[in-house]
Amino acid sequence: MTYIEWLRIRNCLKVLAIILVILVALAVVLRVSVARYMSPAQWVHHIALDPGTHESNVTLPDGTKRMILDNPGEQMHALIDDHGSAGTHIEVTEPSSRAHKEKSNVSVGSIHVVESRHGTMTTTIIDTNGAVPMLYYMAIADIFALIVATILAAPLAREINGHLELTLTKPISRLRYALGAIGVDVVGILAASVMTVAAFYLCQLLFETPRLDFSGVNTRAILMGIACPLAWYAMLCAATTWLPRAYGALLGLIPLGLLFVGLLTLVPASNVVALFVHDVAWVISRFDPLTYVSVATPNSEGSMDYSGANFGFRISMEALFFVGYGALALWRWQRVEA
Amino acid sequence: MSSIKISNLRKIYGSTPAVDDLSLEVPSASVFGLLGPNGAGKTTTFKCMLGLARPSSGEILYDGKPLAPESFERIAYVPERNVLYDWLTVDEHVEMNRRAFRAFDPARARELLSQFGVDHRKRVSALSKGMRTAVMVACAFARNAEILVLDEPTGGLDPVNQRHVLSLIINEAAKGNSVIFSSHQIGQVERAAEMIAIIDRGKVILSGLVDDLKADRKIVEGIFPDVAFSLDGIANDPRVLRVDRTERIVRLLVTAGAGEIAARLSASGATGIRALDLNLEDIFLYAVSPVTATTDIVTKEQSS
Repeated sequence: MTYIEWLRIRNCLKVLAIILVILVALAVVLRVSVARYMSPAQWVHHIALDPGTHESNVTLPDGTKRMILDNPGEQMHALIDDHGSAGTHIEVTEPSSRAHKEKSNVSVGSIHVVESRHGTMTTTIIDTNGAVPMLYYMAIADIFALIVATILAAPLAREINGHLELTLTKPISRLRYALGAIGVDVVGILAASVMTVAAFYLCQLLFETPRLDFSGVNTRAILMGIACPLAWYAMLCAATTWLPRAYGALLGLIPLGLLFVGLLTLVPASNVVALFVHDVAWVISRFDPLTYVSVATPNSEGSMDYSGANFGFRISMEALFFVGYGALALWRWQRVEA
Repeated sequence: MSSIKISNLRKIYGSTPAVDDLSLEVPSASVFGLLGPNGAGKTTTFKCMLGLARPSSGEILYDGKPLAPESFERIAYVPERNVLYDWLTVDEHVEMNRRAFRAFDPARARELLSQFGVDHRKRVSALSKGMRTAVMVACAFARNAEILVLDEPTGGLDPVNQRHVLSLIINEAAKGNSVIFSSHQIGQVERAAEMIAIIDRGKVILSGLVDDLKADRKIVEGIFPDVAFSLDGIANDPRVLRVDRTERIVRLLVTAGAGEIAARLSASGATGIRALDLNLEDIFLYAVSPVTATTDIVTKEQSS
């Protein structure tokens, strides 16, 4: 009964797949062209070539290949543990005068750099293949999922607008048909998320074997990454079912309209008019699922709190929107006439 | 037993009744033609029958039971307008039907499509209006449905394919299935339907077996020597349904006693008197034609 909706999803995901393949292809180009400048192993190789450097290699009982570089003249000592696909651990101790001026603790993707100073010496620890927060992946996946959700969000309006005689003369109740179509779209939106995560994982795999971090804030990011596009989809589905003839315009204008409303909520309340505009926009924005998208909240010190406070409320609002807007769409669908 | 029974159906849009107290019965294993001018309420009647529009009042029963979603395993519908998905191929429409209906026969659908000359690999957007109708008809007839509701099933088709659709309709009745269909091609209805109902402004104004309606009705025509003539009370005869006067010519639509009325007309001074048989088109036109400036028509059924 939901064959048409499956075909719509197939077409939509086909386009998404093409876009993702292009992104992966660009990553391949990047890998080929710049990888040699980015590799920690290459950096180690340069140290080893320094005059006066003594190199020794040993294989540890767990299979780790350990390389030790010593350069007494330069007061440099380096220890490199190669864990294979599990990454590399590098510790370099050298005079602070040779190290970076600023103490730096950096994480780029799966590479984590920690510098510590003790006296005149600085120890730099580099770990490759560190845990990559799923938060990063979900942030990207959410964008693609929202786009796919927006494209798919008129399953009932599309039927009302020209195909009702086919749709309503199938041996299935209206409610079951609508639930089936929405269910299929939900699968499509989730598939878009999974495809995006897989594509970006593949991109990262070109450079290293990523180890994904699913803990804490990342779990919350995954949940929000699932809930938000579905709530967004339900909101657009309700709007298009109520105004089926304008469904194309609605799908284009609602995102822009809500973006505009979101900007209006930032208007400083400098006078009565501004205060009024802000307040109206604030009220409208309460009905926008995107308003509740966050896995962190600003604290009193101005930084972000990733402890998960308010997350329960936010995810509940997304779930409520999905159910509420979905119910509105179904209610309208039950009363549609050809 | 009636396959379809519609009782006192009313459908009101705003304050306008699209269907007004319409009742009709479609017997099993028969072909029923629904005739009416544009806007008469044929399509609305079909939509109410199929649950596409909610009746304001009235009852519709299929073999004594109200319509339910599972009824559509037994009922096939060809709508008046193109409702196919432009972005799908004909093959994908066949597949959609195969997945939706247990008794759908894809091989039969492809065979019918081939007979209509439709390339099943083409997208619907690339098909002509007639070909789109053919796709809807082919899918409906491949459903092996017991009841077929066909709203203008020959719209846009060429004469050869129109004839083919009529053959399919007649064949369905021969198989024991019921067909109710509408068409503006009255000749087609006359050829295929055993029973008809003519509706106008949402009301049934004439219904019955086609043969009976034709046998019961005759036109008695005469020519008077002068424009100013008197019918000497013939128009008040209960067997005279309608009187058309054009200059010196008078035409009487009679239900019985054509010979006797012809004799009375002759006695009134008319010459060239003849009694004519009616075809379905004549019956339809007499039933629905309005009074015009060029023809002085007295419609007794309406005035009464």
